[in-house]
Amino acid sequence: MSSSKKVITKEEWEKKLADVKIRKEDMNKLVMNFLVTEGYVEAAEKFQMESGTQPDIDLGTITDRMAVRKAVQCGNVEDAIEKVNDLNPEILDTNPQLFFHLQQQRLIELIRSGSVEEALQFAQEELAPRGEENHAFLEELERTVALLAFEDTASCPVGELLDVSQRQKTASELNAAILTSQSHEKDPKLPSLLKMLIWAQNQLDEKASYPRINDLVNATLEDPVT
Amino acid sequence: MGGDQLVATMQPTGGSRNLYSLYDWRRPEPKPEEEEVPTHLNTTTCGHFLVISTDKLSARYNGDGQHGHDVGAIQSNRPAPHQRLLYYFEISLKDRGQRGVISIGFTDENFKMSRQPGWEPNSYGYHGDDGLLYHGRGRGDSFGPTFTTGDTVGAGINYAAQELFFTKNGKLVGTHIKEGKGPLYPTIGLHSPSEKVEVNFGQKPFIFDIEAMVQEERERRQRSVESVPLPLSISHNVVRTYLLHYGYQDTLTAFDVASGGTFPPVVVAPEGPVTGNDTESYALEQRKILRKLTREGDIDGVFAKLREWYPELLQSGVSLVSFLLHCQKYIELVKAGSLEAAVNYARVELANFFAVGSVEDTHLQDCLALLAYEHPEKSMVSYLLHVAQREAVADAVNAVVLATNPANLGKPSQSALEMLLRQLTACLMEKRYLNGGQGEIFTLQRVLQGGKDGGW
Repeated sequence: MSSSKKVITKEEWEKKLADVKIRKEDMNKLVMNFLVTEGYVEAAEKFQMESGTQPDIDLGTITDRMAVRKAVQCGNVEDAIEKVNDLNPEILDTNPQLFFHLQQQRLIELIRSGSVEEALQFAQEELAPRGEENHAFLEELERTVALLAFEDTASCPVGELLDVSQRQKTASELNAAILTSQSHEKDPKLPSLLKMLIWAQNQLDEKASYPRINDLVNATLEDPVT
Repeated sequence: MGGDQLVATMQPTGGSRNLYSLYDWRRPEPKPEEEEVPTHLNTTTCGHFLVISTDKLSARYNGDGQHGHDVGAIQSNRPAPHQRLLYYFEISLKDRGQRGVISIGFTDENFKMSRQPGWEPNSYGYHGDDGLLYHGRGRGDSFGPTFTTGDTVGAGINYAAQELFFTKNGKLVGTHIKEGKGPLYPTIGLHSPSEKVEVNFGQKPFIFDIEAMVQEERERRQRSVESVPLPLSISHNVVRTYLLHYGYQDTLTAFDVASGGTFPPVVVAPEGPVTGNDTESYALEQRKILRKLTREGDIDGVFAKLREWYPELLQSGVSLVSFLLHCQKYIELVKAGSLEAAVNYARVELANFFAVGSVEDTHLQDCLALLAYEHPEKSMVSYLLHVAQREAVADAVNAVVLATNPANLGKPSQSALEMLLRQLTACLMEKRYLNGGQGEIFTLQRVLQGGKDGGW
């Protein structure tokens, strides 16, 4: 089959790329949608001023959402939980997975701060009972507790849990739940489009050899595999 | 109209760099027209043994049905549209006639109207008397139930899966692989004396829930896309480099503060002596100021700053950026109602640019056309008066300043976001092309507007 694949050279592909029309306005909308959905209210305000792009929702509604996100990003998970419940107690009540992830984040923060005893107690009292209800939760709990076994977390196989990106992940999940409760689209469009790009490239791979973009951040064209 | 042409005429300052981002300052293109769809039966090519109603939506067989070449087949007036996910039509069997021989399916333009759909090459038919599916030969394969008087049967094409599908009384019967990429016509074949059939090309609601099937197909695609793993940090970085690229400095600062340094800036340019940061934030402060001035319509201010910081960009009198700036200055005068000043400005500054290149000429003509209208904001060229036009000029200024960075030589002058969106569109277009040009056409605008239905 591979011998019948169409080969598209870099020159041919670049010409195709040049023929695509991408409107600046649309890129601005994508960026604005990302800022708004992810809750970057100040950045969204500035972007409105600098680019003239109108946000797709009232920026005022973002502020509460952002306070919650900020709390998680700073590691104040308890504070975040309280704020969400002030906003709408149903959000956590109806979303056990989100609530578990928040508790897990709380455990991570306790471990980070070196409060070993408190961390253990929290794990046993708050998280373990939930693990009994749900196998996936239990696995996550075990993975998180494993952090305690390593003095030097840099060498720990689950060290990524301590990475700031874990906070970001939890914050985004919470953010999405709040957006859904406000009947907004919960996901920004940009990550979906980037996923679609990876998907489309994989699909096209089956039929043609062409210059792919593997490194999305730098967006560099690879040479087609022949 | 390609970037090549633009580059060729604009060597002086842009160098050989592509200027994709400048497409925007041209007149917006009209939307493509909707594809034509079948609306009734084609009475000019139909078989000899049929009586067609005056509305061309029902057919009755008046032959003898004695042998294999007195079938009364008839196609729709137009082939099934293919720029979509699915196409579908239905028939209702009003009277099975003496023998109940009836079929529904798709055929190509060479189909013989005295034969049943499915018997001939590149034709497909679901037959009511035996429930078999015929494809390109006289023998059928077991497929579904038979159908008779009172039944409603449907046939459709799923372009994404490259399959045909058939329904009976609102339920999916089965699918069959579609071979070939040419146009297919909805077709029925009658072969039973006094048999009577009504056709529904969508002029009234279908019995089968075709919308649900479209939705299901989209959701399947959506799930497959969403299952692709992607770290959130990638999106953050793409947004960040976008803000840097276009010099949206205040937004960038707010964005960085809010994400709390969660995502360290990614080092661009893995090769070469210049570190990533230098490439990314090159002349950021100056670019920000130039953008602000342009957005405010202060074109004199932009000229002054450019003369101070990048005199080389304006030295050659006919550079693209000075052309766009002069045009914008003129537009600002029109907007302010200073028509006399605008005319004078055009004579002194814009006349030089005639015959520089066809792209410039078009833009220039549009600009000058503003003078012809008493209410230019209601004219064909009103787009020039929008804020978006200032933004486009600001982007052009930004692009030429970025191009002065020696570290950027030979590299595309686009943001990563733009490159990625180009790649996405090109991949989906190519995929569709290799699929015989069938299926929905992806447009970014549709994703941005709708999104909820998952359509492109």
